[in-house]
Amino acid sequence: MKMSKGENIAQYVIVALLGLLCVSVLYPFLYMLAISLNDGADAAKGGVYLWPRNFTLINYEIVLGNEIIRNSYLITIGRTVLGTIGGLLVTLLVAYGLSYRGLPFRGTILGYILITMLFSGGLVPYYIQLNNLGLINSFWVYVLPGLFSVWNMFVMLKFIQGIPEALVESAELDGAGPLRILMQMIIPLSKPMLAALGLFTAVGHWNDWFAGAFFVTKQELIPVQTFLQQLLAASDLSAVLGSNTNQEALARSSQLQNITLMSIKMAVVMVSAIPILCVYPFLQKYFVKGVLVGSVKG
Amino acid sequence: MYAKLYKYRWQYLMILPGVVLLLLFNYIPMVGIQVAFRDFQIGTSIWNSAWVGLDNFSFIQDPQFLTVVKNTLYISVLKFIFGFPAPILLALLINEVTRPVFKRFVQSVSYLPHFFSWIVVAYILQSFLTLDSGLVNQFINQAGGDSIFFLGSTEWFRPMVVLSGLWKETGWNTILYLAAITTIDPQLYESAKVEGAGRLSQIRHITIPGMLPTISIVLILSIPSLITVGMDQIYPLMNSANQEVADVLDTYILRSGLQQGYFGMATAVGLLSSIISLILVVGTNQFSRKINGEGLW
Repeated sequence: MKMSKGENIAQYVIVALLGLLCVSVLYPFLYMLAISLNDGADAAKGGVYLWPRNFTLINYEIVLGNEIIRNSYLITIGRTVLGTIGGLLVTLLVAYGLSYRGLPFRGTILGYILITMLFSGGLVPYYIQLNNLGLINSFWVYVLPGLFSVWNMFVMLKFIQGIPEALVESAELDGAGPLRILMQMIIPLSKPMLAALGLFTAVGHWNDWFAGAFFVTKQELIPVQTFLQQLLAASDLSAVLGSNTNQEALARSSQLQNITLMSIKMAVVMVSAIPILCVYPFLQKYFVKGVLVGSVKG
Repeated sequence: MYAKLYKYRWQYLMILPGVVLLLLFNYIPMVGIQVAFRDFQIGTSIWNSAWVGLDNFSFIQDPQFLTVVKNTLYISVLKFIFGFPAPILLALLINEVTRPVFKRFVQSVSYLPHFFSWIVVAYILQSFLTLDSGLVNQFINQAGGDSIFFLGSTEWFRPMVVLSGLWKETGWNTILYLAAITTIDPQLYESAKVEGAGRLSQIRHITIPGMLPTISIVLILSIPSLITVGMDQIYPLMNSANQEVADVLDTYILRSGLQQGYFGMATAVGLLSSIISLILVVGTNQFSRKINGEGLW
């Protein structure tokens, strides 16, 4: 395709603008990475922009050696795995069950589900109910309330209804029951959809700080993001260095005076963000599809 | 009838967990709304608490509540004014890129911030904006200016919220628009070119009209959220120095309810905002029925 001179200039302007946008997204991560890999006291003098000037791994040693942080990781991984698998299972089963158009009371059940999207009890009654169920200060508060996502269910339902009915009918004629159709037809056909919804659910669990901040007070049950949220407002290092083992490790370290709150904070953020950065390229092809199916109004 | 119910027994069994979960985590809390009309303390039963009529609704006269409502509307309207057109513009720009590799790169990068939590975004802001060692203040100092305490100032709070919102979600929100653009018939562009239309008039007469249905759906869907500013973004950035402008309905409910123990009052505030958002959703649906000929449900 031949372009006129004006179009050529326009193309350069567009590329420059979009390039700037990419820099604005990527630079913060590179900057935080550089600070986290730099000697803290040195970084505080300023002038570290892209590359660590005084390279050290001490910030990461402290962060990864800290029991509270390690524990918060286990909690986050645990809730992400359980919450995602359980959530996908419940959502898929409900969507599949409701995809049978001949199901008696189908409209009633759909209405029952839809109402929850329109109206809610609000935070306090929700908290009271969690408390009555004994979920406050329990690991299960991270998993159980989020198992059924109405939104994801409607997306899934829409997708299953897009599968040609003749396919299901011919399987039924061959004597396959609903469970068999689910296992051998629906699940294999909906893999891309399940991948997309699974990704969104997993990211939601990984990034959630709210439940840990308000429904849990036991420090050993706190997920990474809640730990980060507590640390955000912290004004001294004791928030990270709370545990005894860690203080011992620090006492042995001669570099203690070179650590700053900022360098530690940046290391914790990088540690929480790196897993997402790692899986991101592999999952990209799925989520665009997921958004598109989800946006088609049901 | 029974035979039919029996025929679908497996389907009912599959639906059951979802129904039970909604009952536990959605419907029972709806019954709990009566706390708004009772004197409830945690540890006692809702049903044994005394009825207090509308006492819990006295917050309406509280000048602080008015400020909270104003803050909520202010922030959500600002976010809408900037946040709604931004992805449309970005999608148009991305669509004009002729090199497919660069196009894909821009898309991947611009979606990325969506996958990080608001907490991480708050850290990014902190690392750039802190008083002593933040990059922005370093530059301001080098240019001879005085440091600005962005994170603890009432003037900078709203721009900070709007900008960080744009940074995080604009790229992600282009997905729908880019998809809409790909469904436009390429023949339209061909015939426009034959008639001598330049890129700009092609955008104006073909691309934008092709995006219009998507734009209108996104617009309609965003109306109900106009009274809710997610606490996810606000809470991490809020502190005692900027609370005056940062406090929104969600943070107000959280503080008065869970942190200070005014359960009845916080429930009453929540009830009021639930009712308003219900009216907005239903109203929006009617509106969309009139305009598009069909509602959202």
